[in-house]
Amino acid sequence: MGNHWLLGSVTGLAVDAQDHIWVVHRGYDSFTARTEIGLATTPKTAEDCCLPAPFVLEFDSAGTLVNHWGGPGAGYDWPVSPGGIAVDGKGNVWITAAGPPEIPGSGNATPARAGGAGRAGGAGGGGGRANAAPPKPQDAHVLKFDKTGKFLLQIGKAGTVGANDSKDALNRPAGVAVDDAANEVYVADGFGNRRVVVFDATTGAYKRQWNGAGPEAPFASVTCVKLAKDGTVYVCDRGNNKVEAFDKTGKLLKQAVVSPTTKGSGSVWDVALSRDPQQQFLYVADGHDQKVFILRRETLETVGSFGDGGRYPGTFYAVGSVDVDSKGVVYTGENLEGKRVQKFVPKGAAR
Amino acid sequence: MTRRLTAAAFIAALVALAGAERVLEQRASAQATVMAPRFEVDPLWPKPLPNHWVVGQAIGVTVDDQDHVWIVHRDNLLGANEAAASQDPPTASCCVKAPPVLEFDPAGTVVGSWGGPHEGYDWPNSNHGITVDYKGNVWIGGNEGNDAQVLKFTKAGKFIMQIGKPGQGKGSNDTENFGRAAKIFVDPKANEAYIADGYGNKRVVVIDADTGKFKRYWGAYGNKPDDTNLGPYDPKAPHAQQFRNPVHCADLSNDGLLYVCDRPNDRIQIFRPDGTFVKEVFVATNTLGDGSVWDIAFSKDPQQKYLYLADGKNEKIYIFDRASMEILTSFGDGGRQPGQWFAVHSIAVDSKGNIYTTETYEGRRLQKFVYKGLAPVTKKDQGTVWPGK
Repeated sequence: MGNHWLLGSVTGLAVDAQDHIWVVHRGYDSFTARTEIGLATTPKTAEDCCLPAPFVLEFDSAGTLVNHWGGPGAGYDWPVSPGGIAVDGKGNVWITAAGPPEIPGSGNATPARAGGAGRAGGAGGGGGRANAAPPKPQDAHVLKFDKTGKFLLQIGKAGTVGANDSKDALNRPAGVAVDDAANEVYVADGFGNRRVVVFDATTGAYKRQWNGAGPEAPFASVTCVKLAKDGTVYVCDRGNNKVEAFDKTGKLLKQAVVSPTTKGSGSVWDVALSRDPQQQFLYVADGHDQKVFILRRETLETVGSFGDGGRYPGTFYAVGSVDVDSKGVVYTGENLEGKRVQKFVPKGAAR
Repeated sequence: MTRRLTAAAFIAALVALAGAERVLEQRASAQATVMAPRFEVDPLWPKPLPNHWVVGQAIGVTVDDQDHVWIVHRDNLLGANEAAASQDPPTASCCVKAPPVLEFDPAGTVVGSWGGPHEGYDWPNSNHGITVDYKGNVWIGGNEGNDAQVLKFTKAGKFIMQIGKPGQGKGSNDTENFGRAAKIFVDPKANEAYIADGYGNKRVVVIDADTGKFKRYWGAYGNKPDDTNLGPYDPKAPHAQQFRNPVHCADLSNDGLLYVCDRPNDRIQIFRPDGTFVKEVFVATNTLGDGSVWDIAFSKDPQQKYLYLADGKNEKIYIFDRASMEILTSFGDGGRQPGQWFAVHSIAVDSKGNIYTTETYEGRRLQKFVYKGLAPVTKKDQGTVWPGK
């Protein structure tokens, strides 16, 4: 990326209509100030390395960083921790305010990490900046910008936490998707709440919602929402290890358990749809088993998977974001201490 | 008169400029002829680990005489989310904590694994540093608060010797225990082991490599070591007359010079094997906290013309001309992609001149940098050295 910029914990990744890859990450608060970002502390503790990259990064398909923006500004509440990202048909960029990850046993929660190093904002933080600042209001909103980072709309307000029946407030929404034809935005709400809620994409006015796969099957957590070309709405019910397919009114069409034995944080972190006309495949990022599952969309059966745990190319730590470009290339983003974006090139269909 | 003087001054200035230009050109051409080893990361080395194994903080690397690469890592610090399959009960299909000592063949395949607590010796609470000596034995230190021992095993992991006892360290003038030892180097000529001692003590210790008996030790500048707390490093303060913790490496060259990593003091101190101070070299002296001088390795030519220094704070490897101890160039940058580092902690070189690095904290990788021969130095900082770049 240049400038000795580092990618922090990646929370969202989306491919736009030009096959540009948009990445949002947690920035300063996801770094160990004492050891990792010596150029960003006061005083500086390193001569050459490193600095957090800006929050929102746009890469072209060659992997070159072509634009970047993000962070606090006038008229909106920049999240404590961003979550999902989506680029709509007009090229506008939507980002959820998801709050810091609550992953048991993650690096964030390991006191011995980094040989006694602290994390900015946590106990023993070495950077000073986030420690000195009062806690920010809790994330409870969704933001809309144009592709250059100009603020357009905010739904909900930081610190104004809404319950599962609120029509104007959210609780740590995790993902977002836009229905361009209907001019509606679907919000996976999320880490705090347990619902999918739909708003007008221009005014932010509340339209409808649903809270599970039926009265007897509430969501355990809602970490993504994605829209197929045929109007099917896919939801990541991470805590239940489930992908659920709904129509646009919330009527359950289909559901499938992915990796049924997964406990802990669950298996279904994010979902992406292949870009062929029929959108034959679903890709499921499983940040706990450290792999990407491939599901046949028609049946939601798991037909394959790739990846394994590790810090090497092709392996993952906390792969929590996935999307596909027009050529079938799969891109992944890694949260927690994974802190990478990786590219997987399609090699044709195989048994 | 004034005008004539002005004209004369102008001509003088022109002459001076032309002269300066010539000097600059000469310097540029002299710079263009400086040669240094060039490296490229091998992004596909090592091969994927078996058994869904993952590696914790990779805290030591060494190469044996078969060009097998050995690492030691802190499996005990792998958390429940990353080592989910090692939990009881497992919470996912991945991942499993790899054993702390891993041996890779030159192709990058794991061919050996062992280590961890066992009856008969005190495995360190926080293992640190690994060295395969000229007899093929494996040495391991430890840097947790109680770790005061150094361990010696066969390559198969059979216990041979323990020097020092946990919790028994009595400071930098103790002749039986260490103070959180960081790294071991074995001198084949004298059959002596040099211990960088360490995270608790402020000294280099030399022991008999067979008996473990202490032979001599010294502090910075060859001074008697003193454990007085020096406080944090300050680049503007007079040079500290003692090492700061950790003393992080002590490696002997073929021509009998011992290079000691005085990590938080941002300096290499060079000694004769008897502890006589020779000189010191400062590196990136505005580096605070963890410091810039983490680990060194020598180039593989018999003269060891080059010295490689891993800097886990600025995330680069410096290439020194060893005779002058001038930095010729550097490579690497911070990041999680191949050829980048988070906390590049340890460095070793194989018989072909390839460099291997391991990363601690959340870097947690072993990486290989392929030796591409000598090349003219065109950049002081090469950045990430990807293949074909």
